[in-house]
Amino acid sequence: MKKGLLLISLLLVFPITMIGCATTSELEKVEAQQKLIDAKADQALQDAQAAKAAADAAKLKADDATARAENAEKAAMERERIADEKAKKADAAFQKSMKK
Amino acid sequence: MLRIPDLSLVSNRLRLIALCVFILSLQGCAVMKNIQDKFRHVTSHPDKEIEKIDFPVAKGEDVIGRLAVVRLEKGDTLPDIARHFGLGINAISAANPGVDVWVPEAGERIILPLSFILPDAPRKGLVVNLATMRLFHFKGDGTSMVVSTYPVGVGTEERPTPTGQMRVARKATRPTWHVPASIAADHRKKGDILPAEVPPGPKNPLGEYALYLSKSGYLIHGTNKPASIGLQATNGCMRLYPENVKKLFNDTPVNTPVAIVNQPYLIGQRNGVLYMEAHTPLENSDAGELEKMHAKLRTIEKKSAGTLDWKKVKEVQSEARGIPVPILAMRQGSETEAPEPLEVEHPDALYGRPEIPELKLKAWYVLAADVRDEIEARRLAAIINHQGPQIPARVIARDSGFRVLAGPFNDAGEAGDAVKRLKYDLDIDGIVIDPARKRQASPLPGTAHRTERR
Repeated sequence: MKKGLLLISLLLVFPITMIGCATTSELEKVEAQQKLIDAKADQALQDAQAAKAAADAAKLKADDATARAENAEKAAMERERIADEKAKKADAAFQKSMKK
Repeated sequence: MLRIPDLSLVSNRLRLIALCVFILSLQGCAVMKNIQDKFRHVTSHPDKEIEKIDFPVAKGEDVIGRLAVVRLEKGDTLPDIARHFGLGINAISAANPGVDVWVPEAGERIILPLSFILPDAPRKGLVVNLATMRLFHFKGDGTSMVVSTYPVGVGTEERPTPTGQMRVARKATRPTWHVPASIAADHRKKGDILPAEVPPGPKNPLGEYALYLSKSGYLIHGTNKPASIGLQATNGCMRLYPENVKKLFNDTPVNTPVAIVNQPYLIGQRNGVLYMEAHTPLENSDAGELEKMHAKLRTIEKKSAGTLDWKKVKEVQSEARGIPVPILAMRQGSETEAPEPLEVEHPDALYGRPEIPELKLKAWYVLAADVRDEIEARRLAAIINHQGPQIPARVIARDSGFRVLAGPFNDAGEAGDAVKRLKYDLDIDGIVIDPARKRQASPLPGTAHRTERR
């Protein structure tokens, strides 16, 4: 009878032990995976932040270039306006000088 | 057995062959025409000369002359091109909008508006159109008429040239200019004291020839300021280039009728096509001129078979380039495409272009300006060069900018005279450069120590 009970107990304990072992290793595996994913997430975050920073820098650069181009255009237009004004002024002076 | 051919079949074949030959010959003509066109295009050389003064007037026709183009060379100015081709500065500027009058780019193609619609006035004697600033001298009768046309300078807004019918009352060579009180007063305000009369010579604004009109105080005369032709710059007289007034003087007897009109919008026919020419109206022009022209056009449109392109009319009017533009085919088959302008060769020397003497170490000079911009310096030098009488001027390039130097002058008196003229006429404070002190600049008494233009 005892022997029977022992056998039954052993039969029960073994699978339970086996399940426990299985759970531990899986947990370790999951933890490792988590770490890996976390590291990957960190990297991705860093990458994203870097990309955002680069994008922000590029935008700033583009804005700066646009502003500079606008300024250059304005300056060119202003130069053209001044040149036109000077030409008109010179023409007006010439026309006045042609009177008797 | 003798075979008798079917005559109807032969006849049909002959007809077919004839048709083929006819079609092929037509093709040949077309091909030849293409070849000729291409040949003309490829081998065409600019013409050496173009008629700019004398034009035949066909009966019933109102448009004379032909448009031309010339390619500019380095150092050309529009006033020089205008004078060489018998045009006023107004005409060449209007025909070439956007082109710098004094510093145009070398290689630029310039339209020479040498086609004109005759003014709506009797074709007899002299007719002056103030709006177009052109004088027309009609010679001959109705069967064979010739017109000589010259650009003119006319009165200012304050002292306009009067319109109306008059005649040539008398003529004089080397006239003396009796300075009108109003002009003397204007000069006095600037500090320039004019004598009561100016004898013949380079300082006389009447030039070498004068035709006195029956309307007292008004003349058609030459000028000592040729660059003023095509400007509103006179006190009511009409001035011509020296070379033109000489011809007009010799061709015009006393008592020749003179009609002065003011027509900024002209319409006329040539070869069954209706043309329109628009100019910017003078400030004191009659506002009804445009309405008059529209009414005329409506009448013509009703009489003709075609429909007038009013959009084009408006375009021609607003552009006001002073060029006759075809607007309506009056006859069937008439071409309303504008004829191609004639390409004219740039002359070796432009007639009347101011010459700049070489620099001389022992001469006097006047520093007219010291500027950073080359175009500005070149423009100013050109304007000074085109004063009447001429003040020679050139641009001297330096590391830090450009200087406009007037001269050479023989003595202090000549240099001082140039300084005064620069001040009175162009508001430039010139600095006299004395040859004895070479690099030291000394201003004339009464002139400011600066070279900026005001």
